[in-house]
Amino acid sequence: MPAFTSQAQAAAVFPQLFEILLEDPQFGAIVRDRGLSVRFVHTKPDLQLHVDADGVRVGGPPAPASLTITMSCDTADALWTGRLLMPVAVATGRIRIKGSVATVVEFVPLLRPAFDRYPELAAAAGVPAAS
Amino acid sequence: MLDLTVPGTAVPTFTSLPPHVEELRDRVRAFAQERLRPAVRRLDQADAADFDWELVTEGHQLGLTRLVISRQHGGLGYGELGVAVALEELAAVDAGYALVFGATMLGQAPLLLSGDPALQARFLPLFAGDEPVLACNAITEDQAGCDLLIPENAVHARDVMRARRDGDHYVLDGAKKFITNGKVARYATVFAAVEGTPGASALTCFVVPLDSPGVELGAVADKMGYRACLGTEMAFTGVRVPAENVIGGEGGGVFVNVQQMNMARAAVAAISTGVARGALELARQWCGERVQGGVPLYRHQFTARKLAEMSMKVDAARLLYLRAAQLADTEIPAPAYEPAVAKLFADRIAIEVAEEAMSLMGARGYVRDWVMEKYLREALGARIYEGTPEVLALAITESLYADDDDL
Repeated sequence: MPAFTSQAQAAAVFPQLFEILLEDPQFGAIVRDRGLSVRFVHTKPDLQLHVDADGVRVGGPPAPASLTITMSCDTADALWTGRLLMPVAVATGRIRIKGSVATVVEFVPLLRPAFDRYPELAAAAGVPAAS
Repeated sequence: MLDLTVPGTAVPTFTSLPPHVEELRDRVRAFAQERLRPAVRRLDQADAADFDWELVTEGHQLGLTRLVISRQHGGLGYGELGVAVALEELAAVDAGYALVFGATMLGQAPLLLSGDPALQARFLPLFAGDEPVLACNAITEDQAGCDLLIPENAVHARDVMRARRDGDHYVLDGAKKFITNGKVARYATVFAAVEGTPGASALTCFVVPLDSPGVELGAVADKMGYRACLGTEMAFTGVRVPAENVIGGEGGGVFVNVQQMNMARAAVAAISTGVARGALELARQWCGERVQGGVPLYRHQFTARKLAEMSMKVDAARLLYLRAAQLADTEIPAPAYEPAVAKLFADRIAIEVAEEAMSLMGARGYVRDWVMEKYLREALGARIYEGTPEVLALAITESLYADDDDL
């Protein structure tokens, strides 16, 4: 059974997750100071987010971004709950990233606060906890 | 700028490198020509276990041990493109010296891929100190080589190093073989299979400080080439490693390794390109100076044809590794196809070019003092590590048949 059953459910979780991340001093700093922008392309159900210093934008025409990160909502759920580790997700092609790999290497460790906050956001949106 | 696409054609062209990569290439080239070249014969003819820390320290001061480490950890933040270009410059003079740094980067790669800030903060700043710190990647074993590189073969791997969970630690038991830098590295990324699983099907990647109790460094292999770097046996007896030193999770080692390989192959292709270029440069010099029949050798049509073919091959190999490196810098996961093609081609032409260059020099090519025969010995080495031609062919063919699956 998929973790997310509708776009509305995904929209209730992921934008808020990245707004939380933008409030994190380290993550916020790299976005602001380096002008970093990230396009998250979630599939099944589809939900696209654009994250930059101005905040999180849902949908709309794709804007140029420093990094484009593509994964299914199921993969995102497995990743943020810690069931799927980043090196495995990357090596198996479940996450695909376009952009400067050097930037990704610096960026990924800064996602740490999202791992702490995701379970409560997902639970509030009715995403079933995986066994 | 590195221009990969030309409107109206599918042929990639590389008009120039990004300025910061060009600057790195020029610095490494000057070092290789001025400092490394005078030492080449000594390095090549030294005992198998000799290691020139002084020259390695100079390479460290140039930044070669921290090229791929991010700036926040004291590194230089270069990607695969910078690494590959730098390694070609070094390998054009001495491939063994280039591999000292290539192997260190291979040992650093799992940490970079881990995305684990705590592990990165513990280990990566070590490379930015005043003294050179080297790393190694310990995967090859006596009975298991390619079985550890091909995921579907892992179950058939024999006598694989084992890891047993013991509370908040793992205990490693087993041995590794032909590990470049094993004798001189500060830490290793070590691959072991978790107990209770067949073969290497639960291969797991551990970061292991090499001063840990139970680590024993064995004999250095007496290699026919790559004499400036040391390939070592390593024994692990009851070595306790904290669970937080696992990269990619228990059983995730094979995925870490696949990514490492796909990233490393562009760099190894660059080393082979450098070896071919070094041989070509010597042959070009000789054929310009040596007079036969009243004209320099290169004026003879047979010789000219050979030199032209050799030059063409070196250029083509460089284009292939630049394409692979550029993709590895801009795509995650790193592609499998382009690095494998680049390495397969560069490894092959390095042998062809070195063999041809040696024959053009006649007896001098066969004499050690002239260094030419070193290039042929080095050219044969790169076919073995980070993917044999057979393993590369499997990776390439698999890509040819891969479905463009969606996520």
